[in-house]
Amino acid sequence: MRLPARALATLAVLAVVPFVLDDYYVHLLIMSGIFFLPSAGMNVLLAGGQLTLGHTAFFGIGAYTSGLLALQWGLSPLYGMVVAAALAALVGYLLGTITLRLRGAYFVLVTIGFAEVIRLVATNWIELTQGPLGLPGVPPFDLGRAAFTLTSKRQYYFVMLVLGALTYALCARLLRSRFGRALTAVRQNENLAESVGVSAYRTTLVAMVVACALAGVGGSFYGHYTQFLSPELFAFYNTVTMVVMVVGGGQATVAGPALGAIVFTFLPEFLRVAAFYRMLIYGVILLLAIMFMPRGIVDALQRLRRRVPASVAEPPAGGEPLVVADGRPAGGDTPLVVEHVTVQFGGLTALSDVTFSLARREILALIGPNGAGKTTAFHVITGFLRPTTGRVLGGARIDLTSLPPHEVCRQGLVRMFQKASVFPECSAINNVTIAGHRLGRAGFWALVFNTRATRREEAALAARAASLLQFTGLTGRAHEVASNLSYGEQRLLGLAIALAPGPAVLLLDEPAAGLNPAETQRVMALIQQIRAQGVSVLLVEHDMKLVMGISDRIVVLNHGQKIAEGRPAEIQRDPDVIRAYLGAGQADARA
Amino acid sequence: MIAELVQHVVNGLVIGGGYALMGIGLTLIFGIMRVVNFAHGEFYMLGAFLLFTLFGTLGIDFFLAAAVAIVAVGVAGAVVERVVLRPLRGQAIEIPMLAMVALSVILQNAAILLWDPSPKTIRHPFSPIPIVLGPIHIVAIRIFAGVAAVALIIGSHLFIRKTRLGKAMRATFQDGEMARLVGVDVDRVYTATFSFGAALAGASGVLLGSVFWVYPAMGDQAAMKSFAVVIMGGLGDFLGAIVGGLLLGVAESLGAAYVSSGYKDAIGFVVIILLLLFRPAGLFGRRDRLR
Repeated sequence: MRLPARALATLAVLAVVPFVLDDYYVHLLIMSGIFFLPSAGMNVLLAGGQLTLGHTAFFGIGAYTSGLLALQWGLSPLYGMVVAAALAALVGYLLGTITLRLRGAYFVLVTIGFAEVIRLVATNWIELTQGPLGLPGVPPFDLGRAAFTLTSKRQYYFVMLVLGALTYALCARLLRSRFGRALTAVRQNENLAESVGVSAYRTTLVAMVVACALAGVGGSFYGHYTQFLSPELFAFYNTVTMVVMVVGGGQATVAGPALGAIVFTFLPEFLRVAAFYRMLIYGVILLLAIMFMPRGIVDALQRLRRRVPASVAEPPAGGEPLVVADGRPAGGDTPLVVEHVTVQFGGLTALSDVTFSLARREILALIGPNGAGKTTAFHVITGFLRPTTGRVLGGARIDLTSLPPHEVCRQGLVRMFQKASVFPECSAINNVTIAGHRLGRAGFWALVFNTRATRREEAALAARAASLLQFTGLTGRAHEVASNLSYGEQRLLGLAIALAPGPAVLLLDEPAAGLNPAETQRVMALIQQIRAQGVSVLLVEHDMKLVMGISDRIVVLNHGQKIAEGRPAEIQRDPDVIRAYLGAGQADARA
Repeated sequence: MIAELVQHVVNGLVIGGGYALMGIGLTLIFGIMRVVNFAHGEFYMLGAFLLFTLFGTLGIDFFLAAAVAIVAVGVAGAVVERVVLRPLRGQAIEIPMLAMVALSVILQNAAILLWDPSPKTIRHPFSPIPIVLGPIHIVAIRIFAGVAAVALIIGSHLFIRKTRLGKAMRATFQDGEMARLVGVDVDRVYTATFSFGAALAGASGVLLGSVFWVYPAMGDQAAMKSFAVVIMGGLGDFLGAIVGGLLLGVAESLGAAYVSSGYKDAIGFVVIILLLLFRPAGLFGRRDRLR
């Protein structure tokens, strides 16, 4: 484990603090720590693009769980805390399974509603909670035995410091791991994330469970520290406090919630001098903070001193740049078969009984006038759209028809998108590293403990990303944020992203659209090199020179129907194709 | 038995009209601007307090005071849009949302300073003696609140359907970029939308504030209810907000009477969770709103 000097220094300062400051400030630091836990969890989920405004529910569930266990059965709060975390995680998991298919504001509002329901239960379930009166006399925290009961603020402080440091380390590991990259991918471009093998649902569900477990721990400690439980725990303003800490501190950053927890615990206390105007001034400061540093304190600090980016891993020396992952272009001789696929939207038939197949190492172009159904075919093949009838089979005739996009990727089929083909806020190198997600094997705990195997895997993924950037000629732009790249560079980066999972079949949706002739030449050359490594390519393209130049075979669609299939020379002479492209009169004139 | 049921339904409809007004405002603001307005409850509160001051303290005619209060809340909404929301446009959805949370803290605490936290009643000019209509008893202020809510809902519908500005709003709702390209002044649409949405919340506060209590934190529950209404109806769905509001009002009224008054406020959210399980796209499920 690599403990940077800065972390050690911070811990040393925090360890000295309670011997220097008086109890009031020690109390505020404990409160900061308690709120840091749920905020850190909320931040992990927000890193995946999902904002929960019901987090206080899990905080409260944690507090009530270990508080009631201690009150009624005399269970040690230490074990109670474990139960609290587990219960909060379980409830979070159940809520997640029904809500995480929702996005954005929907998810936000549903989580608020959930917290409100839990608050009403706590208020009305008098036998268990004594309702609004609350439960006084919750036992103080102990370390597993009554003999180790915490008696002073200083003792609480040190236990909190340990919990906080562990949480910080956990979140740092998660956010900087392959899991953290998957969260970033989902947040920035969900469709692209899915197409490179990241399950948006599973990734955010894991984040939700982590977030809720941390809230449960924080709530449990809070209950034993204040020794009082009431439905006020579930009040909406507690959630607001957490969000303010996360966003004010710096969302999706590791240090943000910690910094935010301290700043936004002390700020309202310092404002006590303003007496009646306290909350008004607090609101104004909050509003100004959001307006002038919407990305939080951490971001504002980073702007003050720009950091030098870490160096790019060295691509493996010598030989062909590695395109195909683990040298395994899976899929046998026909890695893709489309069988009798029909797609209807209401009354409109977008594809009608279309059948074709792709051979290994083949470049097959799918062409046709606008509205012919080419993009629909891509959606069907890659799992973004389910056909009305018909099947899509992958290598070894595995049925892909009902698989979601990330599963299709796992079967070796990866697409490059025509629009929004990158993760816009990440650097070029990070874009490609993110996209290598599928090749990682390390599980959740391996990531948390950063095992030797995990570190080796990370190094391999970084090296692979570097070699893909070299392959697409973007090495010099590795640290540029993707949205700052030129259009042509973004297309190349999109290609590198699609290659990162190591596809057996690469689906390219107009790779040359909008490129200048030199760039088009480059893309053509790259496609041929990719094929040379054993990858099959399915291509949708309008640039006929490109299509005729590199395709082995061409399938022509018109109004959702396959009207021709054959070698480029045959297609150029086919009367049906000419009619479709140029209109009936032209074809007759030629005939 | 039946009479009692009808009585509860009628009571529920009156409150539901207020919820619907709130919900329409919230759903328009979200649908057009992609802003989750966490200060919506405070605009509701502001409407009620302005009526309280204009009518109760300054002695202006009740109906005039009500109209002035609604317009004033609309103006406040326009100012908020220009000063706070416009600079934040283009940020991720949580940023303007948090700004609205901050605004709600500011408005609520300003109200505590201006009007003190104790609950107040508005001594409206209607008779407190219930009118007997067949099996049901209803006080005149509730009839007024119900009728006014219906009138405002119809008025909003006509505004959005028939006026030029309303058409521009609908165009922006469907595709903001396209609307801008064909010459819609999107900035103006945004200001108008937020102002209009705030005014509807203010109107709801004026009406329900006359029936119930007026206090600085009154917006908290109202905002929760309007969120419930909007999810039920589908985010950005105008008709959904109306139906959702009325349904929630009636469900709460019946729930409080026949199930449990303590859980009355949970009904909306329980319905939502059930809806999510069985009809994840809202009551009507007309549009793909899941993203």
